[in-house]
Amino acid sequence: MFESISVIGQRRRFLLAQLALLVMLSSTSRAIPAFARMYGTSCSTCHLDFPQLNDFGKAFKDAGFKFPENDKSMLQIPPVMLGTPSSKELWPKAIWPGTIPGMPPISFRYTTYFQYTGSSSSKFDALTPPGSLPPFVPATDFETGLFSLFTAGNFGSDIAFWVNNDLSVAGGNANGGLGDAYLRFVDIGRFLKLPKNMLSLRVGQFELDLPFSLVRTIWVSPYDIYIQSNIGVINPLFSQQFVNNRFALAETGKGVEVSGGLHTGGYNYSIAVINQNTGGDVGFSPYVPTALGSNKGGLGVQSNANFKDLYASFNYRFNLERDKASRNAIQAAGPIGPHDHTYLNFGAYYLYGRSEQRLLGEVGGTAAVLTAHEPFYRVGGNMTFNYRCCLQFNALYMFGHDANQLPVDASGALIPLQSLGQTVPAGFVPGRAATFSGGFVDVEWLAFPWMMVLMRYDGVNSSSDRINALITNPSFTGAPFNAAFSSTRNRFTPGVQFLIHANIKAVFEYQFRPSQSVTIAKNPATGLPMAFDPFHTNTVVFGLDFDY
Amino acid sequence: MSFMNRLFLSTLFLLITTSAVCFAGTLEGKVSSGDSVVYIDAIPGKTFPAPTQSVVLSQRGLKFVPRILIVQLGTTVEFQNDDSVQHNIFWPSVGGNKKAAHNMGTWARGEKRPYKFESAGVVPLYCNVHQQMSGFIVVSPTPYFVQTDLAGNFKIENVPDGKYTVVAWHEDEKAQSKTVEIAGSGKVEFSFPKSNAR
Repeated sequence: MFESISVIGQRRRFLLAQLALLVMLSSTSRAIPAFARMYGTSCSTCHLDFPQLNDFGKAFKDAGFKFPENDKSMLQIPPVMLGTPSSKELWPKAIWPGTIPGMPPISFRYTTYFQYTGSSSSKFDALTPPGSLPPFVPATDFETGLFSLFTAGNFGSDIAFWVNNDLSVAGGNANGGLGDAYLRFVDIGRFLKLPKNMLSLRVGQFELDLPFSLVRTIWVSPYDIYIQSNIGVINPLFSQQFVNNRFALAETGKGVEVSGGLHTGGYNYSIAVINQNTGGDVGFSPYVPTALGSNKGGLGVQSNANFKDLYASFNYRFNLERDKASRNAIQAAGPIGPHDHTYLNFGAYYLYGRSEQRLLGEVGGTAAVLTAHEPFYRVGGNMTFNYRCCLQFNALYMFGHDANQLPVDASGALIPLQSLGQTVPAGFVPGRAATFSGGFVDVEWLAFPWMMVLMRYDGVNSSSDRINALITNPSFTGAPFNAAFSSTRNRFTPGVQFLIHANIKAVFEYQFRPSQSVTIAKNPATGLPMAFDPFHTNTVVFGLDFDY
Repeated sequence: MSFMNRLFLSTLFLLITTSAVCFAGTLEGKVSSGDSVVYIDAIPGKTFPAPTQSVVLSQRGLKFVPRILIVQLGTTVEFQNDDSVQHNIFWPSVGGNKKAAHNMGTWARGEKRPYKFESAGVVPLYCNVHQQMSGFIVVSPTPYFVQTDLAGNFKIENVPDGKYTVVAWHEDEKAQSKTVEIAGSGKVEFSFPKSNAR
């Protein structure tokens, strides 16, 4: 989903960043006005600044998209019974009774943007190969975002469902895609006599239970570390790395997840097993049935890879109210009304996967498919301090590590990556691992119930990204070229959002990238390359976002 | 007690009760918008004892029940949370007086929290957790008040004869007042600019 940013020149990287920005700008969301209709209540019952959830919204989600207590008495539109409750006694001679929402719980979301890009983006024109036209980045651009459909609710028996689909992306008709689509079996631990809320099961396609959800964030632009993939060094002037892992933590996973605890206080954990998805080639056999069926008959399943990634997260949230009853309630009791808790949350997460790269080679003189298994992991921690409704500090750190298996020929000599295809590989040897790190810190201040002021710092350190960007002029001769200023990409993003109504908002973000790039040229006095003229390309985004 | 004294007292009693019956009238009429509130405004020189019985206003199903509550000045209203979620009640003013704004805070589900209304006027009610919740308490300075039916018809009985200022209020309209003379009965009509309440 997110192309390597290191193998493509900085100009393309910039353009792709803009495209990623647009694609991710509204991102999928947990905001679903269908709930507002079903319960006859405002979006602000569950959301601070949609789609961000307040404590009650988190409890609603934890409970399986229903009120945590006495849900039936709160529903304004009664569900349709698929069997009487008393027929539970007839099972197994009758179907277990369930319900469907009394009206189709469908909501829509649409976003539209205006973007202004700094004029220094034209400095990337120097990267254009001679004889080619440089890509044109308009300084100002009206852009449509996502038009998305959401449906979610509860089928009774503590079975919750969620499906969201991007019907249109950037005005391109139906070229969006399925976002989250899953069934969640809430508190199945009750069948095992476990404590309440200790064990739930989710099956389908879903965003991992990340420390900070990207689909539920109020930020227009994604967290840079979440969309960082790990592409090793391919620049032939440096030690190369045969790592081509396009996986990013922000992507949805297909698989199963067990989870437990509550997001409103105490512990919560999740363990997910999902399909490997590093962007490798998928091979199909005409003799193996696929999920879409085949002329060989039958229905089956297909995987992108045999290996399944494992993701685990654990958080503990300390609600800081003195009064125990208030501390343990969904929302804290305040002198002017209930509000979100003041709390401290600490967490850690770990994802383990195994990337595979396949080459056509020879073993013992016989043609063979050679597979490089490159285990990788992403690990990190997170912290949140929240003061009541209105002030929140968040921080996240991530370290990424990919094993590096370098191809060698029959004599055991390393094969330069640019020579693959001319030299037949015979195996792999371990090389220096490809790593990156980074994270973000942000502060969110709800100045008024209708106004959120935001500030965020993103930092991503990837030496391979910087080295690969030098590939445009590897001999350091000739015309000046641009390169990353350092291995760490920094971004400061102030923003403000205004709720025009509870379901309509205007958003503004200014993305400031200090010393993003630098020009490399030959020093006429020494003949050595020198860096000068650091510049950055900043972006301003205005947007309108509405749900109904 | 001598016969004459008893005769005198009986006659006096008869006169008093007869006068009460003869001089208590009915105020009736119509307001153009249904679910309006009609009450007799403060009568100069006359006060009425505050009711001793409190009145309950519930928060149930994310709504105020009843949505419009009319009470006499000095009544204690008990706000009760009948929902399984936390609620709050606050009002920004009483009769337009912002200094009378008040926030009841948060209290436990199932519990009541009382408040005595000692100023007359309309009290708009809100919950700062559930922003679609809306209700009203109309604090009447006299015990003569009523909520109209959906067609806007009303009748207030046992109103002593006299000249009064009658006030009509609807949540979507500016309150109107008219002077009405009751001599056995009195009639008044109010016409609000908007035809619908919503």
